[in-house]
Amino acid sequence: MARAAHPQAMQPKKPGTTRTAPPKMPDGFPGKGRYRTYVAFETTGLIYLLMGFIILRAIWQLGAGEAGWNGVMDAYRNPIMIGFHVLALVGVIFVGVRFFWLFPKAQPPRIGPVRPPPAAILKGMLYSVWIGTTLVMTWVLAGGAF
Amino acid sequence: MKQLLIVLEPVIWFMFGQGIMIGTILLTGWLIVVGVGVPMGLFPADALAYERMHMLGSNVIGRVVLLGLIVLPLWKGAHHLRSLAVDFGGGDRDAIVGSLLYLIAIVGSLLGIVAVIRL
Repeated sequence: MARAAHPQAMQPKKPGTTRTAPPKMPDGFPGKGRYRTYVAFETTGLIYLLMGFIILRAIWQLGAGEAGWNGVMDAYRNPIMIGFHVLALVGVIFVGVRFFWLFPKAQPPRIGPVRPPPAAILKGMLYSVWIGTTLVMTWVLAGGAF
Repeated sequence: MKQLLIVLEPVIWFMFGQGIMIGTILLTGWLIVVGVGVPMGLFPADALAYERMHMLGSNVIGRVVLLGLIVLPLWKGAHHLRSLAVDFGGGDRDAIVGSLLYLIAIVGSLLGIVAVIRL
């Protein structure tokens, strides 16, 4: 049995003439089937928000000097921080796979006079940029260049 | 407040969209090396030595990449947390919750700009 949804979830600004049933959350929300994936996708927002501030702190300390940056690197070696970063990496890959799967479906039939490329080509382009950028960043950051 | 969020929706969605796409593309390599690889000893620690990271981050390309790594995830995070709040708590507090989350993203973005300028 679906649980009751928020009473004002779909309330129109003016009462209509047709009586409507109280809104209900769909069956399975939030933990089953497609809803689970949908909620997981939204929940990665917390990981991204935290990552933004974690990287902000790191770059701030990089600008502050060597002692500050070394403090960041020491903090990153903490097992809790490594665990969070592993979770964040899993979350980021999940977001990328889901978004690049959805992206071709969200394209309009035409963009001005041009038709978007077929889904397979769009996906191939997105994955190429993602994998290519990741390889270059990994290579540069890990000391392969410069 | 709700009206302001509606007016700003194109900007919010633009930043959110870039956060998902470009933020995800940039975060993957950063997390592999800085978040996991070097702390676990999979890559040499010298790769993230202060002088090297400062040299990589303080040129124009480095500053743009670092700014993207800070700003874009903040907007993806703020917008998705707002959606999560609506899904679980309804729309009554959306104006306050949304404004607060975007304010956090704006403050973080401004601090991010200052952080990359300081390099």
